[in-house]
Amino acid sequence: MTVAQAEAAALGASELERALDLEAECTRLLALEEDLFEVSFWAPEMARRARPGEFAQIWTGPDHLRRPFSFSRADPERGTVSFYIGAVGRVTRRLRRLREGEPVRLLGPLGRGFSLPQEPGRSLLLAGGLGAAPFPLLADWLLGRGEAVVWLNGARSPAQLYPPELLPPGLAARSQVTEDGSLGRAARVTEALPAELSQFHRVYACGPNPMLAALWERLSSGSAAGRLEVSIEAPMGCGFGTCLGCAVPLPSEGAGYALCCRQGPVFPAGSLDWERLRRQPAHLE
Amino acid sequence: MSSPPDFDPSVPIGRGLVLRNPVAVASGTFGFGLEAEAMGQIDHLGAIFSKGTTVEPRPGNRPPRIAETSSGMLNSIGLQNPGVELVAREYAPRWADWPVPVLVNVAGASVEEYVRVVSRLDRLPGVAGFELNISCPNIAHGLDFGTEPGAAARCTAAARAATELPLVVKLSPNVTDIAEIGHAVEDAGADAVSAVNTYLGMKISLRRRRPVLPGAGTAGLSGPAIKPMALAAVARLRRVLTIPILGIGGVASAEDALEYLVAGADAVQVGTANFSDPSASRKVLEGCLEFARSQGLGRWSDLRWRGPEEAGTA
Ligand SMILES: Cc1cc2nc3c(=O)[nH]c(=O)nc-3n(C[C@H](O)[C@H](O)[C@H](O)COP(=O)(O)OP(=O)(O)OC[C@H]3O[C@@H](n4cnc5c(N)ncnc54)[C@H](O)[C@@H]3O)c2cc1C
Ligand SMILES: Cc1cc2nc3c(=O)[nH]c(=O)nc-3n(C[C@H](O)[C@H](O)[C@H](O)COP(=O)(O)O)c2cc1C
Ligand code: FES
Repeated sequence: MTVAQAEAAALGASELERALDLEAECTRLLALEEDLFEVSFWAPEMARRARPGEFAQIWTGPDHLRRPFSFSRADPERGTVSFYIGAVGRVTRRLRRLREGEPVRLLGPLGRGFSLPQEPGRSLLLAGGLGAAPFPLLADWLLGRGEAVVWLNGARSPAQLYPPELLPPGLAARSQVTEDGSLGRAARVTEALPAELSQFHRVYACGPNPMLAALWERLSSGSAAGRLEVSIEAPMGCGFGTCLGCAVPLPSEGAGYALCCRQGPVFPAGSLDWERLRRQPAHLE
Repeated sequence: MSSPPDFDPSVPIGRGLVLRNPVAVASGTFGFGLEAEAMGQIDHLGAIFSKGTTVEPRPGNRPPRIAETSSGMLNSIGLQNPGVELVAREYAPRWADWPVPVLVNVAGASVEEYVRVVSRLDRLPGVAGFELNISCPNIAHGLDFGTEPGAAARCTAAARAATELPLVVKLSPNVTDIAEIGHAVEDAGADAVSAVNTYLGMKISLRRRRPVLPGAGTAGLSGPAIKPMALAAVARLRRVLTIPILGIGGVASAEDALEYLVAGADAVQVGTANFSDPSASRKVLEGCLEFARSQGLGRWSDLRWRGPEEAGTA
């Protein structure tokens, strides 16, 4: 890290005072297609504290490190937080089998989420596959502030798209595209962008690094460049800034790395080194 | 967290530094303590060992830096740290108000670098002592300081000459005989040793047909996977050293900590367990105190194994 970043880090970690570490019971598991699911937990105080783009570290037992998941919903009235998850490995497969009433440990909310508008305008939400996870909560907050929200979701096949019936009501527009063309036109999200990007006051994106890098390439020279925020992934050991495992490369020479768990997972796209991010393995192994 | 009436839970580790209990947190698993302070997780600790600190700021290694393994994790952080100047100006003054002693973990590429870090922090309010991480490559020779008794002793003696504060030397387990290195640093003036640092390890991606972590692919293994090996190292050291030993490696429960005290440690450091459970060290301490109460211990050293009855069974 640069001295400037280090000094910022030295200013303290007071945002971690918001994090709760608690045992939470599964209230519902909604099994979707292709090993995707949305799982909810009873955690009323966490539901009150969670902001769009923030995440929780889930722990199912002492035989593994915690795993990070973005809040897909946080409903203070029902007292629940939810996560939209793909069963891709050991812990996510275990979560996929959770039954109502079974507990896990949740640590959160953690991280820096999406910035929210001071005044209503237009937002574009761009999701690739599981990258849709943080957007239902973001859409809720934006719609609650009178924002016009356009939802654009892409995936390899329709089964991997966020279920349309779960989308929040009140979206200004929504479109879903698949690479195999079985739904909408055959396209990647980055090929299906609205023509007039300058109409959007904010563009939020989440998905695989190559998708985000391609998006940045499209937007970086235009007027929307400064309005793009991305939520990105890095392998996490702790989720709260002590292991230094979740390094995300910064562009300028000598700037070093940001911590995904504390300075992210949401970053202004222009603050990251996309050359290096693009080359990083898509997921942890 | 009360103790039994005649039980003394404190642990002296040299030069007048007495830990009020034997549960500390390990370097690199607790940052500089600020995150845990914000989460309300420092007041119970016997001591905090800071992230490894070098003369200049270091950006650290390129990602990915960590990978999970069976009952453990690999890390290749590359000593990312803000440099000693910032530690002196920003962190030490905060530590001065904390109820827990903070010992700064020191890393360097030459004896001179270790000495510069120690000298800059020596006598600053908030700095209770030092822990030398000698598992660092010695640029003069290529090998780690911690793998050669002469280099380990020179590094220890030079740091010793630069401070009157407690000096702990943290041993590498990646050696043929850890007792030889332990002996060398005790003779060179160490007040205590920490044992052990991470074991050299590797994780392979079969799909990609290469190591998961970049560069040479090697990294430091920690967590429950290393506990049996670390216990053996502590027991071996206990037989040749007179100074206190801080046992490290896979401590996640009170039973783990107590096993180290039986093997010959005077105190323990909780490391990787802090990542999954920010209150791990508190639970370890509570369990240890409960055990002391139920067993009617007078001191922790009552637990210690006195060694094999017969020679030749090491
Ligand atoms: C800030 C943040 C937020 C996240 N939010 C979400 C979320 O909302 N929903 C969600 O499903 N995931 C999310 N992830 C990713 C999630 O943490 C991983 O999918 C999870 O750690 C996998 O754990 P596992 O034990 O099941 O897999 P492991 O056993 O650790 O890995 C098994 C296999 O799965 C592959 N794998 C790991 N991660 C992924 C991945 N993301 N996509 C595809 N393959 C993968 C690995 O390459 C490996 O081969 C997030 C990650 C971060 C850093
Ligand atoms: C992510 C990580 C970073 C570490 N950084 C340091 C360090 O900077 N200096 C040091 O002496 N040891 C460092 N260590 C080693 C630990 O202090 C400890 O010796 C080791 O992890 C074994 O204990 P554990 O099994 O309880 O984790 C680090 C360990 C981990 C997991
Ligand atoms: S996950 Fe440990 S520092 Fe970010």
